[in-house]
Amino acid sequence: MNDMRIAERDVDSMESKITARKVQVFYGQNHALKDVDVDILDKTVTAFIGPSGCGKSTFLRCLNRMNDTIDGCSVKGSIKLDSEDIYDPKVDPVQLRAKVGMVFQKPNPFPKSIYDNVAYGPKIHGLTRNKAELDEVVETSLRKAALWNEAKDRLQSPGTGLSGGQQQRLCIARAIATSPEVLLMDEPCSALDPIATAQVEELIDELRSQFSVVIVTHSMQQAARVSQRTAFFHLGNLVEYGETGQIFTNPKDPRTESYITGRIG
Amino acid sequence: MSVSLISLIVVILAVAGFILARRRALAHSGGDARKLHSLPQYHGMTGVLFTVVPAFLVMILWLLVQPIVFENRITAMIPEATAADDATRTLVMADVRRLAAGLDQAVSQGKLREADIEGMRADLTDVRGRLAEVGVALGSNVQQSVFQAAKAYRLIRNTSSLLMTGVVLATAVAGFFYAMSRISVDYRARNVSERFMIGLLALASLVAVLTTFGIVFSLVFETWHFFTLYPPFDFFFGTVWSPRFGGGSTLGILPLIWGTLYVSFIALLVAVPIGLMSAIYLSEYASKRVRTVVKPLIEILAGIPTIVYGLFALITVGPLLRDYFAMPLGLGNSSSSVMTAGLVMGIMVIPFVSSLSDDIINAVPQSMRDGSLAVGATQSETIRKVVLPAALPGVVGAILLAASRAIGETMIVVLGAGAAAKLSLNPFEAMTTITVKIVSQLTGDTEFASAETLVAFALGLSLFVITLCLNVFALYIVRKYREQYE
Repeated sequence: MNDMRIAERDVDSMESKITARKVQVFYGQNHALKDVDVDILDKTVTAFIGPSGCGKSTFLRCLNRMNDTIDGCSVKGSIKLDSEDIYDPKVDPVQLRAKVGMVFQKPNPFPKSIYDNVAYGPKIHGLTRNKAELDEVVETSLRKAALWNEAKDRLQSPGTGLSGGQQQRLCIARAIATSPEVLLMDEPCSALDPIATAQVEELIDELRSQFSVVIVTHSMQQAARVSQRTAFFHLGNLVEYGETGQIFTNPKDPRTESYITGRIG
Repeated sequence: MSVSLISLIVVILAVAGFILARRRALAHSGGDARKLHSLPQYHGMTGVLFTVVPAFLVMILWLLVQPIVFENRITAMIPEATAADDATRTLVMADVRRLAAGLDQAVSQGKLREADIEGMRADLTDVRGRLAEVGVALGSNVQQSVFQAAKAYRLIRNTSSLLMTGVVLATAVAGFFYAMSRISVDYRARNVSERFMIGLLALASLVAVLTTFGIVFSLVFETWHFFTLYPPFDFFFGTVWSPRFGGGSTLGILPLIWGTLYVSFIALLVAVPIGLMSAIYLSEYASKRVRTVVKPLIEILAGIPTIVYGLFALITVGPLLRDYFAMPLGLGNSSSSVMTAGLVMGIMVIPFVSSLSDDIINAVPQSMRDGSLAVGATQSETIRKVVLPAALPGVVGAILLAASRAIGETMIVVLGAGAAAKLSLNPFEAMTTITVKIVSQLTGDTEFASAETLVAFALGLSLFVITLCLNVFALYIVRKYREQYE
């Protein structure tokens, strides 16, 4: 298999889901992100690439306001989800996070049963009326996360007892159980082996039909394999953003070219 | 030779061992430390270890066994008539030791010579008067048999001391030469000192375990003694506690257990919610600045001596509760009550709950909180559903520590709840606890032969069993509900 093969590029929709304009992020005195403008399309996988410390994870965490939990972090500029500013004081970050789910670098299942892990979101948001509906949500989420066949006979056993790849898929199931519109993934495969990585990547491609997926990755091959759009960040700046094929085969900016050919980063 | 002098000699020998062993190892390698299996200081270390460890072990063993041997030898010399039972025999033995010490004093001051003592007889010389001259006061005139025993005691003690010096120093020297003889280029000195370290660490933990067993054993022994004097059934199921030192007491433990559990229950009712909530606030919500100020302030509570809490209960809380709660509600007019002691004790144990829980909650990985927040849970939902379940074992441990502090507390109860043993549901009535009664049974001029004093050991053992059961129960709870996050 050619690792640099470029995935199917037919972007299903040109509608933007998230519009970010002039986003600045400060950690105390440290200016972590400078003037980032990005349009993230609906039903598309968007990859953020760039060397460590370039601000890609920071930007990702702005999209569901997870940066609010970090002391001394301030965000300026505007980020709109479906033309509604998510940093507007009227917006409840808790509700926002139900709409913009997130999967983390290291699998972090709760120390509860597999069932309770997936049912966690629906339960706290009151999305289901009875046990039968909840069962159904859990089943469909696990199916979408390609974990149902492995987990259906052990729903009551602890989620922490699964293997690393299964745990990450469980976390994906947990994130999609609240039926979010956007799914953010912060290096979801960096703690997984190649087989588990392949499974998760396949899953990301399937999830594209329902959500807009944003993935931060260190692996350029992975970005090339799973994404339709790629943004390259460097030292807190968004250097280049465009179609994945174009970024990898014909980058406009010399910095992008240096990075993808391995000269910087 | 005294123990400290022997120790000093052994230590000097060990230092010499270090230097010589190190030098010897270097000499074997021809001055090139790289040829040695272990670094030169490890060779030096084996020199120290082989000299010190066996010698000190022999000495400790000797010092432990010595009194037992002496006791047996000397008791045999005292006629049955003078030492009829255990208690008097102990007294006579104390006399013997005191007399021997007095004679030593006299010799060291030059008032007596060893040869004089040999020929002295208690019925001919005024031993008491002679010893008074050197500043050793004896309670009564010395009997000849006791004087003979004291002389014998000195004799064995001196031989034993001489013998011990010889044996210990011989062991040290033998160890020293053994260590020297083993040094070579390939000698695994590093591994040998590693094994010594393991042994040392294991010994340290063994001491802790053995002490526990020792305490339990002595309690069980005296409790057994008590039950030969007082029927166990009446003790465990009696509802009246009224000890009379003239005899004919009723010693039922139930009112005391009730008082203990009632006071502790109220204390935990105060401490657990307040402590846990303040721990959650400090670890999850408070800013760093607030945390650095508030946490030490709460911990100050743990440093206040319990007698000060007792005064607070006696002077402030007790009258307050009586005037504003007990009297208007018609529940009694006593200022010392279970409620007073429970409240104050609750305040005392807050830091045990809060400080430990705070550390435990902080130890829950941030990724758990992120995971929960990312699906749109609020902070308090995250704490209730993810953080606390993950921290449960530690929190239960903290509560348990608070509970055992509360159960074992004495001073606050004496001053806050009084000393009257009672079985009552009214929290505004004076009651008392097991620990208070242990103290009151053992204070004063008492002998350890009557049921009234020995009952203290039975009470102590019961208390121990209660806390043990509590521990086992908590362990069960933790096993059942724990949610492991790693």
